[in-house]
Amino acid sequence: MTTGAKVLGAVLVLATMAEAPARAEGWSDRLSISGSIQSDIRYVTDTFRGERPGQGHEFEMNRNDVNLRLRADPFDGVQAVIDTRMRYYGFNKAASLPELIGRSKIDPFDLMLNEAYLSVRGLPWSKMDIKIGRMIQTWGTADMFNPTDNLNSRDFSDPLDYTGKVPNQMIELDLYPSDWLTLQLVWVPVFKPANLPPSAVQGFAMTYNSRGEVTDFPAPPLNADGQTKLMGLKDRLGGASGGSDNPLAGVHFTTPEVRTINPKATLANSQFGARAKFKTGPVDFSLSYYYGRFGFPVAYTAVADVLSPGNAPAPSKFVTAVNELDSTKYNVRYIAEIMYPRMQVIGADFAYASENQWVPGFSAEAALILPERVDFGLEAFLDGQSILRQTNPNVPTTPFVKATAGLDWSYHDWFYINLMYVRGFFDEFNDKYGIHNYLVFATEFKFKQNEVQIRFAGAFDGDDKSAVLYPQLTWIVAPAVELVGGYMHFLGETQPKNSLDYAGKSKFGMKANGRDVAFFRGKVTF
Amino acid sequence: MRRVPLTLLAAFIAVAAAVPRAAHAETADEILAKADKLTNGWDDQYMKSTMTIIDIDGSKKSYIFSIAQKGEKRLVRFESGELKGMATLILNRDSVYAYLPGFKKVRRVAAHNMNQSFAGSDFSNDDMAFTSWTNSYVATIDHEDADHWFLSCLPRPGGVKPPHPKAIAKIDKKNYQLMGYEFFDEAGKKVKTFDNNDLTDWGGGKFRNKIIVVTDNQTGHKTRLDLIEAKFNDGIKDSLFTERELEWGK
Repeated sequence: MTTGAKVLGAVLVLATMAEAPARAEGWSDRLSISGSIQSDIRYVTDTFRGERPGQGHEFEMNRNDVNLRLRADPFDGVQAVIDTRMRYYGFNKAASLPELIGRSKIDPFDLMLNEAYLSVRGLPWSKMDIKIGRMIQTWGTADMFNPTDNLNSRDFSDPLDYTGKVPNQMIELDLYPSDWLTLQLVWVPVFKPANLPPSAVQGFAMTYNSRGEVTDFPAPPLNADGQTKLMGLKDRLGGASGGSDNPLAGVHFTTPEVRTINPKATLANSQFGARAKFKTGPVDFSLSYYYGRFGFPVAYTAVADVLSPGNAPAPSKFVTAVNELDSTKYNVRYIAEIMYPRMQVIGADFAYASENQWVPGFSAEAALILPERVDFGLEAFLDGQSILRQTNPNVPTTPFVKATAGLDWSYHDWFYINLMYVRGFFDEFNDKYGIHNYLVFATEFKFKQNEVQIRFAGAFDGDDKSAVLYPQLTWIVAPAVELVGGYMHFLGETQPKNSLDYAGKSKFGMKANGRDVAFFRGKVTF
Repeated sequence: MRRVPLTLLAAFIAVAAAVPRAAHAETADEILAKADKLTNGWDDQYMKSTMTIIDIDGSKKSYIFSIAQKGEKRLVRFESGELKGMATLILNRDSVYAYLPGFKKVRRVAAHNMNQSFAGSDFSNDDMAFTSWTNSYVATIDHEDADHWFLSCLPRPGGVKPPHPKAIAKIDKKNYQLMGYEFFDEAGKKVKTFDNNDLTDWGGGKFRNKIIVVTDNQTGHKTRLDLIEAKFNDGIKDSLFTERELEWGK
């Protein structure tokens, strides 16, 4: 071997040796993994908020979650984030012999991709960042109740969690022209609706008595004229009750069918948001604009197909399924349609932090919403003949305001209070139900250097006087390990006094909110 | 022949160095300023620490967090425990922002939060936002022993509001290092004691105590900080101390 070859070989060996540890160290520094493991079990403590009286005093849910979040910074100014959740539901769902063969029904689970996005910083301009992918945005300064925050629909699949959101694919552009100004532009190509809690179907469910008879049906959003007409139909059906104390004893309802009208995935149906954030001394504020759709569904149409006792089905496209007919009763099939109206939202919010420790922090947020008009249409058929036809506005085009104003204050470590006035709950859109006014509160007492926390939270509807109470006790057993026990309790009438009054439903009393539950949760983060 | 002039030169330098000191004894403010410069006077600094919270029954829990500091700006990030992912940006005492991973948002922290403890430790948020002794306090010599000055520190008129209305700072006479301090409340009652130990050279003659033990004098509760890593004048950019960075690093 020549001297030159030896030198070249030595250089290559050294270069390899030098590069290998550098790369290994670099990648370990540029990857971070975090996550949590959580198990949650809930027990229903009531017997009257279920589909039928007497249901309750049973385990409602068991969720076992593994959350993993991977962040990679492969190059300076580039970041990739993946956030996943695997959830095992603790209850066996196998209902037939074949389903006992596979594991998926005995031990059901799902996999969720919460976030998956790429961020590029400082390109093509040093004061500009771009993010693209599946992500969750949070706008507004208020706590939880953010009427200006509409880019992601809400995820209420867990009735105890008011903070969840449905992730969506979007492109975000952030501009930082100065220390006091941040501009943000977001485009969301495809609309995704809110994820509703399992109890949401109760909002369209029949009411049953202990004999299993239907005693009422869900009120559609009708004006006074429509309610009178529907009352006439109800009275007519009541003629077959045969002297029972239940006027609808002579009526056989099939389970209502509720269809969603989803917007097409066109450019015109995409969503857009723009926000400017300002910092001025003790006040931070922002102005925002959103064009898109309301994430919660609004009632759009309903059809009731009624068949007189003993009659054969008429050739109506809404005809009741023959195999479900009860020849001794009126047979009714009810089909409703819900849709997601367009809206424009002009928003403003601010947060004020006083230099005086005795002065609470203030925040307020308001959204002026310009909604798309939604007309509700109802038609009823009796033996194939249209007997009732009613159309009235459900959502008028009148602009309306949703707002939150709140303060929070703490005394050292052991006491914290948060009070908020909220106009318009998450799911309210100035339809026939209207916009309600709420007082939301949360207090926390902390002991033993925050290891033990007692929290008492709740909300009170000032319009219908219903409420939800949510006490919980948290014990931080060790850093990153927490045990939480708590209870959620609803106060209010489950049914409105006038069953046909859509606006008469009690906000927290109605069954669509869920059950009174006691829960116990354990969580470890890493 | 050469030894004599060198000895004379050394003696001259020693005398020259001694003369100003004799002519101008350092004031307490000057001593505090020198100690402050050694603690906070770097262009920038980065420290990673293990924080161990020690309850009065002896039980312990630990967290890892990092602090980047430049001037009066600080960025604190938690890297373990139930607070992992949480970050706090301190632009000054009245302008503090926290990134809350659970809510995926940056929230402004109001003044009433500043007297709360930092993650259940014996540091308060105010302590964490305290970045300059000389901007906040005027010092007088309270007493001294052979090795230390004990400076009585009271709020500087028109200065930055200090975390506590009175402090006694213990400064090493040999090297001006801040070896500990005590904070007092309005009534003059001692509320916290900081003991700094294990002075360590973190490279290039940049010294910092490796261990800080904070004691709550009312409860006996303690918190110990063990520095894992410290860097000084490392060229930290101003852009690190922005909401943009809080959002980016989430």
